[in-house]
Amino acid sequence: MTADSKPRTAQARGLDAGLDALPRGIEPERDLWPSIEARLEPRGERAGRRWFWPAAAAVLLVAGSSLVTAVLLHRDEPLVARQQSANGPVSYAAAAFGPGQTLDPTYAAAREELARTLSARIDRLPPGARRKLEQNLAELRRASAEINAALELSPGDPLLEELLLSTYQEELAVLASVNQLTGGNGAGPIDATRMQL
Amino acid sequence: MTEHGGGSEFERARRAAEERALVDSAKRGSKAAFEALYHNHVGKVYGLCLRMTAHRATAEDCTQEAFIQAWRSLPSFESRSAFGTWLHRIAVNAVLAHGRRTRERLGSEGSAEDEAVALADPTVADDGTIVDLEAGIRRLPAGARQALVLVGLYGYSHEEAAGLLGIAVGTCKSQVHRARQLLGERLDASEVTQ
Repeated sequence: MTADSKPRTAQARGLDAGLDALPRGIEPERDLWPSIEARLEPRGERAGRRWFWPAAAAVLLVAGSSLVTAVLLHRDEPLVARQQSANGPVSYAAAAFGPGQTLDPTYAAAREELARTLSARIDRLPPGARRKLEQNLAELRRASAEINAALELSPGDPLLEELLLSTYQEELAVLASVNQLTGGNGAGPIDATRMQL
Repeated sequence: MTEHGGGSEFERARRAAEERALVDSAKRGSKAAFEALYHNHVGKVYGLCLRMTAHRATAEDCTQEAFIQAWRSLPSFESRSAFGTWLHRIAVNAVLAHGRRTRERLGSEGSAEDEAVALADPTVADDGTIVDLEAGIRRLPAGARQALVLVGLYGYSHEEAAGLLGIAVGTCKSQVHRARQLLGERLDASEVTQ
């Protein structure tokens, strides 16, 4: 042991002892319970997590975006209008994200509406586009299940919440884009110009 | 086993059973049970928040956020870990989320602000050397302080603390090392000047 390391070791021991001696608990100077209690929603009437409100707003913004179009519909895919898929309808219920009770009602309603419209239009997508849509939704579904499982272990984790929010947004962007690309009202032909974005 | 040891073991088991019952009741919606859990745990949660943030008002906010988040997430709590451990994790997340919001709002890295706040806030009253050590921790740079508080005070492993703080394990170790070094220097300096 060198002369320099001797006092350092003693110092480290002193520091460890000091840290051990510190009380782990410190009582707050004022009672925080009344403020907490005022913000506790009754069980079963929860209005949803606050961060899903901005999610719904963000979805409105991305709904008009053509970003997902490039993923869903490749330029080289043949355009086949109203082709019935041999695989049956895409399952939207399976693409639900997270425990239902955590969804903001406005967000959930917007998602349901998009899913309903999409259901009527999916058969108008070219087979390749439909395949990609199914892959995208399955991937988002897997990701959200993993994030939700992690969130159960670590509630309030900001990174996980951000990831989950992003996954929700992506799902709605996919649903919104399909709606947009297949004509908007469900009656007309596929808009080839928009599909080739 | 001595009578005393058996007695404490019995006491621990009784407290654990009582806490499980409170958690179950709170899960079913009992605010009274949740209030009892609050009173049992607020000291440690606030202590953790205060030492991580080095600011009393922020620590109070984070403590409140942690309990509110815990109430919301309680239905999914499966007792794989102790309620206290789970709650502390929520509190750490509340502190980190608060720091992130503050940085976003101010558009700064936050460490300078943290440092200024720490220096300006002479709270955390205690006595003797504890005051020195508490003050020393409070004056550490945010990254070093948070790593030291989690690892050195609250018993998290470097891996757990790194995961919570969103940093590499090596970074966590070097932050703790830096914190200890700075604390040692400052405590030495304070002894010299006293």
